Amino acid sequence: MKNSLKVHRARFNYTQGELADKIGVSRQTINSIESGKYVPSTVLALKLARTFDVTAEDIFELEEND
Amino acid sequence: MKSRFLLPTHYRKIGWVIFIPFLILGIFSLHMEFEFEWLDFKVRSGDGNIFDNPAVENFTNELASIGVLIGLIFIAFAREKVEDEFMMKLRLESLVIAVLVNYVLLFFAILFVYGLDFIFVWVYNMYTVLILFIARFYWVKRRESKMLQS
Repeated sequence: MKNSLKVHRARFNYTQGELADKIGVSRQTINSIESGKYVPSTVLALKLARTFDVTAEDIFELEEND
Repeated sequence: MKSRFLLPTHYRKIGWVIFIPFLILGIFSLHMEFEFEWLDFKVRSGDGNIFDNPAVENFTNELASIGVLIGLIFIAFAREKVEDEFMMKLRLESLVIAVLVNYVLLFFAILFVYGLDFIFVWVYNMYTVLILFIARFYWVKRRESKMLQS
């Protein structure tokens, strides 16, 4: 799964830490999502979407092999 | 995310403070037959039959075993400062790896350790799942926080 979390974060000028605090996760979690190592739960994906005022599909996108 | 089965964060420190002295006591008790005399308790009738276990049992090894157990449980199950779903994933992965490695080690111990020496395998094997879990979980957490700095 691809994601554009970094782009959205840049749009709002949040650091990884600020974003992490906003949705109640650790910085490690944001970092591992951005680097594609971790696929977040639906709840977390929706929280991220709400924070950036977009839909979950705007941030997360399926890839061929998913 | 709510995580069940976890203890408050400060239990980790308490865990280490309990674990280390009791581990040392346990090693002395297991390998050097060290005993505290004040831990002698009469637990059986001990009717003098030579085939009977002695009436008095020394509880040094019991004390050490329980101390090590409680220490390890506290360290392993103390909640992280931010205990989120990613941390739970790391925990789950670490637990799977710990159980697997534990039984691989046991497999080789069964093959290569014989006779009365096997009692040491039993004793250590009581704790290896927790020890391997803690080692793997700590290592992966360190790796993740190093990645943050770079």
